[in-house]
Amino acid sequence: MKFRTIKYMIREGFSNTYKNLLMTLASLTMVVSSLLIFGLFLLVTLILTFNLKQMEKQIAEVVIWLDKDIAPLQADDIELRLKNDERVLKCDRITKEQAFAELNEALEDPSLLKGYTPEFLSESFRLRLKDAGQIDEFAQEMRTFTGVEDIDFPKDFLDKLSLILKWINAGSMFILALLLIISVSIISNTIKLTVYARRREIGIMKYIGATDWFIRWPFIIEGIIIGLVGSVISFVITGYLYNALETYINSEAVVSGMSLIRMLPLKDIGGQVLFVYIIIGVVMGAVGSIISVRKHLNV
Amino acid sequence: MIEFKSVTKRYSNGAIGLQDASFTIEKGEFVFVVGPSGSGKSTLLKLILHEEVPTEGEVYVNGFSIHNMRRSEIPYLRRGLGVVFQDFRLLPNKTVYDNVAFAMQIVEAQPKEIRRQVPVALALVGLSKKAKVYPDQLSGGEQQRVSLARALVNNPSILLADEPTGNLDPGISREIMYLLDEINQRGTTVIVATHEKSLVDEMEKRVISLDYGRIIHDVQKGNYTNEV
Repeated sequence: MKFRTIKYMIREGFSNTYKNLLMTLASLTMVVSSLLIFGLFLLVTLILTFNLKQMEKQIAEVVIWLDKDIAPLQADDIELRLKNDERVLKCDRITKEQAFAELNEALEDPSLLKGYTPEFLSESFRLRLKDAGQIDEFAQEMRTFTGVEDIDFPKDFLDKLSLILKWINAGSMFILALLLIISVSIISNTIKLTVYARRREIGIMKYIGATDWFIRWPFIIEGIIIGLVGSVISFVITGYLYNALETYINSEAVVSGMSLIRMLPLKDIGGQVLFVYIIIGVVMGAVGSIISVRKHLNV
Repeated sequence: MIEFKSVTKRYSNGAIGLQDASFTIEKGEFVFVVGPSGSGKSTLLKLILHEEVPTEGEVYVNGFSIHNMRRSEIPYLRRGLGVVFQDFRLLPNKTVYDNVAFAMQIVEAQPKEIRRQVPVALALVGLSKKAKVYPDQLSGGEQQRVSLARALVNNPSILLADEPTGNLDPGISREIMYLLDEINQRGTTVIVATHEKSLVDEMEKRVISLDYGRIIHDVQKGNYTNEV
């Protein structure tokens, strides 16, 4: 394709977008509403996943019990290794005395522990991992350390949580894909109206000897323009909605003193959302155009 | 240049477009294709354009085999053919100049070439002064001239005209027909499907008469009815 032809096509694409303003607006509305439905669903999924991950992190506490009669040097050694382990986020050493004090507090009736000394308890480490998903593997490894008596963590709960996360992931992928297909078909139907209004023009071009791609490109460019503009508009609307929701949730948190839901800061995910919107908007516009023009090219 | 070998065209609804038609049209000929409505005139032109493909038989146009052609070749076949329709088929949102230039843009002609050729084509059909006007401001005859200019601007070797005067007054029809004759004098092969009995008789060109899809006469210097 020659450069002047590319120039011609881009010019045609822009001028057609402008000339068929009503159709452009119709397609634009379709793109924006599809993207908003798609985007809000995406955000809900992201926030849900994020919150579940947070929850997983809070719950995923590993307790490493040491042998009761472990040599203090050996315990120090284990502590050093844990603190130097890259997977470990935080590690607290709980001495026998601390454990005894905690137990005392928990029992509420100090008389029960009368006659006991902290010596009957084991020393332990309480730690958190950076990635709760590594917990199983980590525990297996720790068990092999000499001086480690036992390891505790909420295995069942974590397993269930990771299963839920997997289902949410798979389910949202499926629904997002479905939404995408529906959007493309709605948009291509709208573009079909534009193309239908210009079928004479397409027919004339075919009679004069235009190639299919020569006819298609201006429509594709038109679709891309609509997709781009639509994705930016959708992004702005999404941003406003998201901010409003965030403000609401934060104010609720102030009233109730705590918040069940934590929002992701928009500045962290904004870039990704815009990127996804643009990609989807452009693909929807371009694919929609190709589908709509196809029928009329068979002259 | 154009050769039909025992060509039959049946449409999917069972209608016969053309039946066992054979003829040859040489370079530089002027041919009228006549016959009542539904006799197959349009089918014949559509086969040359590859708008339809023959059910049986072979059609050759400018070295292309219409009966056996890849879809991607169609544009290149059509670039050698100029087409004029009864309803002009101009783009209403482009000026006269741009309508003609459009035909050259499509074949990716040089801008310099476009600026040179478009005025020549408009001068040939006598519309130099109307270059900046939009089609709906022109009379029917003028619109048909624009479509002629568009058909000619790429210097096609064959010009096809499907009822080019069907929507025009007799006087204007006559002008258009003589314009087609003039174009033919310059070396372009011209094929005209028409109902214009008096003009066909007057111009004494080759006449192919169709009835129910069959060629009933093919006469040099013939007339519309061809009573012997």
